[in-house]
Amino acid sequence: MPRPDPILSLDSLSVRIGTTALLQDISFSVQRGDVLCIIGESGSGKSTLLKALQGLMPATCKRFQFAPAGIDVTGEMSAKIGLPKTRWVMQDPLAALNPRLSLGASIAESLHRQERAAPELRAAVMAALAQVELGPEFYDRLPGQVSLGQAQRACLARALIAQPDLLFFDEPLSALDALVQKKIAYRMDVLRRTTRATCIVVTHDIGFAESYADQILVLRGGQVETYQTCEAFFAAPASPYARDLISAARALGALRGVEAAE
Amino acid sequence: MTDVPFGAPAPARDPLARFALRLALTLAALAGLLGLALWLTPYAPTQADFLDRLSPPSAAHWFGTDQLGRDIGTRLMYGMVWSLGLSLVIATVGLIVGTIVGLSAARSGRLGDFALMRTTDSFFAFPELIAAVAFAGVFGPSTTNLVIALSIVSWMKFARLARSLAHGLDARDFVIQARLNGVSAMLILWRHILPNVIPSLLVLWTNTWSRTILSVSSLSFLGFGVQPPTAEWGAMLLDGKPYMQTAPHIMIFPGLAVLLSVLAINLVGDRLRDLVAAQDTA
Amino acid sequence: MSPTALRLIGLVVVLLGISLITFTLNHVAPGDKATIIAHARFPEVMTFSPDLLQDIRAEFNLDAPFAVQYLHWMSGILRGDFGTSYTSGVPVWDIFLGSLGETLSLTLSALTLGLGGAFVLAGLAVRNPGTWVDTVAVFVASIGAAMPNYWLALLLILGVSVHLGWLPAYGEGTLAHMVLPALTLALWVMASQTRLLRSFLLDAYAQPFIETLRLRGISEREIFFAHVVPHARAPALTMIGLDLAALLEGTVIVELTFARSGLGSLLAGSVLSRDLPMMMFLVMFFAATYVIINTTIELLQAMSDPRTRRIAGRP
Repeated sequence: MPRPDPILSLDSLSVRIGTTALLQDISFSVQRGDVLCIIGESGSGKSTLLKALQGLMPATCKRFQFAPAGIDVTGEMSAKIGLPKTRWVMQDPLAALNPRLSLGASIAESLHRQERAAPELRAAVMAALAQVELGPEFYDRLPGQVSLGQAQRACLARALIAQPDLLFFDEPLSALDALVQKKIAYRMDVLRRTTRATCIVVTHDIGFAESYADQILVLRGGQVETYQTCEAFFAAPASPYARDLISAARALGALRGVEAAE
Repeated sequence: MTDVPFGAPAPARDPLARFALRLALTLAALAGLLGLALWLTPYAPTQADFLDRLSPPSAAHWFGTDQLGRDIGTRLMYGMVWSLGLSLVIATVGLIVGTIVGLSAARSGRLGDFALMRTTDSFFAFPELIAAVAFAGVFGPSTTNLVIALSIVSWMKFARLARSLAHGLDARDFVIQARLNGVSAMLILWRHILPNVIPSLLVLWTNTWSRTILSVSSLSFLGFGVQPPTAEWGAMLLDGKPYMQTAPHIMIFPGLAVLLSVLAINLVGDRLRDLVAAQDTA
Repeated sequence: MSPTALRLIGLVVVLLGISLITFTLNHVAPGDKATIIAHARFPEVMTFSPDLLQDIRAEFNLDAPFAVQYLHWMSGILRGDFGTSYTSGVPVWDIFLGSLGETLSLTLSALTLGLGGAFVLAGLAVRNPGTWVDTVAVFVASIGAAMPNYWLALLLILGVSVHLGWLPAYGEGTLAHMVLPALTLALWVMASQTRLLRSFLLDAYAQPFIETLRLRGISEREIFFAHVVPHARAPALTMIGLDLAALLEGTVIVELTFARSGLGSLLAGSVLSRDLPMMMFLVMFFAATYVIINTTIELLQAMSDPRTRRIAGRP
C-alpha cells in the first residue's frame, strides 16, 4: 500500500535480544501530515518498535529512510540515541518529567541541541505552553504541583516546541481519566492540523484510532498482523484478529464513546 | 486528579525545600545561641578551681564541677563543638565521597562497577568502631586520627544508596527524554540524577551524623579518640569515671548530652524521611 | 553463571579486599617495624643492638617489597598461620581461641535476651495499636537508638552495683558478673530491633490477605503467629545481619567498660601495646564474620525465596 514520497519508510525491521526475536520484519511508511496508529496488546512489541526507531535498542533492517534528517540506512540501525527532527510523548507524564525540575525547564530541554539564549528560550517555552493551553504561571511549577492532565500537556509542549517533522506518541492518553483524555485528544488533533506534523501513535484504544488515524498497523507477537488504511481497516479488517479487536471495542462502547467527544 | 482552573493560586514551594530551609535556620539559631552562651559563661573550659572540686549542681555551677573544679556546664557547651561538630564533618565527608563513588559505579561499565562496589563491600565489612580503634592503634590516638579513621569508614552506605538510586533513575522516562534530546551524560547527572538522589542521601546523612556522634563519644570514652582535657563529651565521661560514685553528676550530664543530641537529630531525620517518602509516592 | 556462584565469587573478592586493607594499614604504620617488635618483646629494654634488629627484620621478612610481604603473609593465612603475637611470641590464633568463648557467651546471651524482648515488645505493640503499650514500644525504641551504650553501662553500674549492691560491677568469673554486661548489650539490642520488628510486623499486617483471613473468622492469635510473624521473618533476619556490625562494636564497648576479658579487651590491649599481628587478626576476624554471616543470610533468603512463599500464603 505504499504511496509516493513518504516522510518515513521502514523495510523489515527486526529486534533480537539473544535468540528471542522481539520484532520481526516490520515494514510501513508514513506520508507527511498523516497519522499512523500502531495497535496491539501489551507485549506485542509496540513500545519496542518506538525504542528501536529512537536508537534505544539495537535493531537491523533492510532499509530505513527518514527524509527530514536525511537518514537512509541499510542493515544495522544507527546506534545513535535519538532520531533527529522527531519528538516522543510518553505514556505516564509524571514519569516523563523530572520531579525536581520546573515544567519550563523540562520543556526548554527539548531545544537543548539548539543552544539558544535564555530570554529567547523562555519566550519559546511560554509560546509552547500557550499552544497547549497552559498559562505562563506553569513555567515555574514542579510536576508534583500540577494535575496529571496538565503534566501531559506540558509533555506535549515539550514535543511541540522543537517543531518536529514527526511526533511519536506512546499511549499518551492511557494514564489519564476519561474526561481529560478527551480534552487532550482534541487538543492533539487541533495541534496536528495547525502544525501539519506527522504522527505515529501507539495505542490500544481502537476508538482513538478510528477518529484520528489515516493508517492502522496491528502488531501481534512482534509481527505485523494487518497494515491497512483506516477506512479499509474498519470496513474490511484483513485478519480475524483485527476483526475481533474491532468487535471487542464496539461491545465495550469504546468506538461510539470518542465519536461523541468529537 | 483533575485539571485545576488556570487561575488557581500557585501551590506552595517544594515541602522538602521548605523543611531544609527551616532546619538550616534552626541550626544557625542554635549555633548563635551556643556562641552567646560561650561568651556569657564566666568560666573557661579548662579553668580549674581546686577549692571547688566535685561540687553538685548549684546556682554558680548549674551542672556542678568536675574533679578539677572545672564548670561542667561550660565544658558541655564546648563539648558540643567537638561531639556534634566532628561527627558533622565526618558524616559530610561520607556523603560527598560516597555519592561520588556510587555515581561513578553507576556510570562505569560492568567491570568498573564490580571493582568499585566490591571495594565498597570490603570497607563496609569493617565495623566503624573497630576500624577506628585499629587506626588509633597504628597511628596513635588523637582527634585528627579519629576524624581520619571514621571518615575512611563513613562513605560506604552513601555509595550503595547513590548507586542503586542512580540505576533506578536511569530507567526513568525523563532521563530517556533527556538522552533523546542530546543532553550530555554529565549534564544528565547534574540536572536529573543528582537532584533526585540528594533527598534520600540527606536522610542517610542525618542518620550517619547521629550514629557518628555515638562513635566519636564512644571512642573518646574508651581512650582512642579525643583526649582529655579536651571537653568532648565521651572524653569528659572517661575523665570523670573514677569519681562517679561520689559525684554522679559528673557522668550523668555528658551522657545525657549525647543522648539528647542523638535523639533530636534522629527525630529530624525521621521527619525528613517521611517527607521524602511522601514525595516519592506522590 | 548462577547468582549464587556470582555471590560467592563476590564474597572471595571482598575477603581478599579486607585482607588487603588490613595489611595496608599494618604496612603504613609509622615507625620501624623491627623496633616495634623489639619493644614489644623486651618491654624493659630501651635501646637495641643493630644485630638484634637485623635478626628481627630477617625473621619477619621486613625488607621485602609490599607485594612480596603481602603474598607471604597471605600464604601463611591460607595455611592457617595467622602470625605470632609480638608481645608474647604465642600464635595469635591460640590467644584468640582463649578469648573467643567469653565474647561468644556474652554476645549470644545478649542477642537471645534482646531479640526475645524486642519480639515481645514489638508484637504487643502491633497487636494493640494506639494503646500505651505501643507508645512505650516507640519510646523505648527511640531512646534506645540514641543511648550511648557505655553510658547505659555506667548507669547500670551506678544503680545496680553501687547503690543497690546487688551485682558485682567489674571483672568476671561468676554468672553474676555476666548479668550487667549482658543486660547492657541486650537492652541495646532490644531497643534497636523493636523499632524494625514493629515496622516489619506492621507491613505484614498491611498485606491484603490478612483482612481475608479475618473475614474467614480466623482468630487474631492464629493470624499473628501463623501468618504475620512468618511474613516478617525474612526482612527481620536481613536487618539483624546488617546490624551485626553494631552488635560487634557494642560487645567491644561493653567488655572494656566492665573490664571483662574477651575479644574486645584483646583488641584494645593489642592496640595499646602495638601488637600489630594480634590487632590485624582481630580486625580481619570482625570484618570477615560480618561479611560471611551476611552473605549466608542473603543466600538462605534467596533459596527460600520469600516471594514464592508470600504468594503461596495468599488464600
